[in-house]
Amino acid sequence: MKIIMKQDFTLEIHSDNNFSVLNRIVNILNRRRVRIKKLIAHEDESDFKRGVAVVLLFTTADMMEKVKRQLEKLIEVENAVYYEGSTEYCELSSRHSMINEQ
Amino acid sequence: MDALLTKTKPAIESEKDSNQPKQKISGSEVLLRSLVEEGVDIIFGYPGGAIMPVYDALYHYADKLNHILVRHEQGAIHAAQGFARGTGRAGVVFATSGPGATNLVTGLADALIDSTPVVCITGQVFAHLLGTDAFQETDVVNTTIPVTKWNIQVTEAKDIAPAVARAFYIASSGRPGPVLVDITKNAQNEMIEAAEYHHCDAIRTYKPKPTLQHSQIEAAAALINEAKRPYILAGQGILLSGATKELKEFSEKTGIPVACTLLGLGSFPTDHPNYVGFLGMHGNYGPNLNTNECDVLIGIGMRFDDRVTGNVSKYARQARVVHIDIDKAEIDKIIKAEVAVHADAKEALLALIKKCKPNQHKEWIDRFTKLNDIEYEKVTSKEFNPTGILTMAEVVNHLSNFTKGEAVVVTDVGQHQMTTSRYYKYKNPRTNVTSGGAGTMGFALPAAMGAKLGVPEKEVVAVIGDGGYQMTVQELGTIMQYKIPVKIVVLNNNFLGMVRQWQQLFHGKRYSFTEMQNPDFVKLAQAYNIPARKVEKREDLQGAIKEMLAAKTPYFLEAVVGKEDNVFPMVPAGQGVADVLLEPPTTKA
Repeated sequence: MKIIMKQDFTLEIHSDNNFSVLNRIVNILNRRRVRIKKLIAHEDESDFKRGVAVVLLFTTADMMEKVKRQLEKLIEVENAVYYEGSTEYCELSSRHSMINEQ
Repeated sequence: MDALLTKTKPAIESEKDSNQPKQKISGSEVLLRSLVEEGVDIIFGYPGGAIMPVYDALYHYADKLNHILVRHEQGAIHAAQGFARGTGRAGVVFATSGPGATNLVTGLADALIDSTPVVCITGQVFAHLLGTDAFQETDVVNTTIPVTKWNIQVTEAKDIAPAVARAFYIASSGRPGPVLVDITKNAQNEMIEAAEYHHCDAIRTYKPKPTLQHSQIEAAAALINEAKRPYILAGQGILLSGATKELKEFSEKTGIPVACTLLGLGSFPTDHPNYVGFLGMHGNYGPNLNTNECDVLIGIGMRFDDRVTGNVSKYARQARVVHIDIDKAEIDKIIKAEVAVHADAKEALLALIKKCKPNQHKEWIDRFTKLNDIEYEKVTSKEFNPTGILTMAEVVNHLSNFTKGEAVVVTDVGQHQMTTSRYYKYKNPRTNVTSGGAGTMGFALPAAMGAKLGVPEKEVVAVIGDGGYQMTVQELGTIMQYKIPVKIVVLNNNFLGMVRQWQQLFHGKRYSFTEMQNPDFVKLAQAYNIPARKVEKREDLQGAIKEMLAAKTPYFLEAVVGKEDNVFPMVPAGQGVADVLLEPPTTKA
């Protein structure tokens, strides 16, 4: 029997910075019952009309790909990219935190 | 139809002298102008406190915007869906805040899953009252996020026109869907300078139409050209992309048999020699069984819904799958595709027609025919030629014959829906209007109303069960007021028939709360000034259907059918398509 392993994934989503965009993103993850371990979201410092969310998720590779496609269907989402593991989350979230503190 | 009630001229006139200061108009008038610019000529709606400025402005737009006052907001959105499905244009809805807006939620969910373009405009409380639990304030944007393709709240008049332009573009492009624009009352009242309307044709983050990848077409064509038993599953994407001609050409060139999903009915003529039937839980015998016999399965504009696949682990395991869809999220969602073509169905078919070799698969099509003959002998012939009480099948069969398969047939959800899908001989695109993915009882009556207003030149017949009919029966009032000549057939078995069927087959015949005591439907229709007739005897049936079709007015026909008749074939829930039953399973002694 094939064992489907869950693991950490770092998801980075670039979108417009409109009201409710974050809700839409979280809605898709909730509907798929994907566990959110950490999340950071902020508007783009150089263009407040754009925003970025970085999410640390615990799910399967198959689900990760399906969720990515559903997220990219959202009108305001420009793209969603993901990386295996949490290393990227630490790097991306600290980079984004530094940008916000500047 | 009395749908158009001309009043005075619109309050707004175009500026003739560019040197004159621009005229100021209200946000409400900006909205109405925007709708006119989008080509809207009919709105289904229901007024209320938070949308009163819009309705006040609408009073002067009666010669341009034909407003249909429904009896419930759910009726408005289903009517807009029927309009959209019949015409291919976005249906438009007005509703007020709070309960007015939340009453749209079922229709939004239905339109989203069935890819129906609908633009809903909801009134909202004043911006300064947002979040204060003001009277009839509901967080409509967050409430409707999961059931809309897109939504937005507008709090300033200057943002109304751009929001409407985006709404129509998003609703109608790519995979269509419902959108909602929530406008606060202060924005409706605010006076701003009239400005030129700009249609939306691009959004930075939104790519509705993927670029056709020729490598994908090459790979698909290679599989199809090698196939011995290829099989096309045609979904609603064919209709949405306007690819019915291309599908026919592709099937005829390659000799590949075509089966239609529930929403794909009408995408391929049912009288075509390559048409092999209707797919799914209550689909035809051949199409279901041969899903597990084909070597190449070609899904076009369909999403491998669980009612089509049955148990996925038993679905087409032997087949190499080509999946063509405009929505990338549908690819590999349920069934893994060996070749995925992320494209508009029409573009993909045009490319495949060039790349695929002429072929014939007569023996393979004969295998469908033989299986469908078994179904005819065991199921259909008995349903068409019963000896006792009327059957749903014979009513639908006569309706199909008398309308030559050319009426727009609007169905609700349940046994009557499956029976109509099996026996109505759809010939043309956009003639099958039903609630597919959501399975919304109460859909058909208002949707038929909307479809008739959209395509008044066509005969529109609603076929409904007695349960679903009573869920939105209040729309008889709308039909009466506007004299919408829609034909209504209620197949009355005094049961919630499909649930009862499952209770009979899978729950030991424990009919738990499915039997209904119904009103006198004829008197009810007559109370709304709609001519009505009830048929119980076989000898009266054909005459009654002819009388209904000959009527120039709305007409109600009740056909009393067998209380405990079942719909077969049936793929029992959780089982594979090859486990399709032609009769009830025998119980062990």
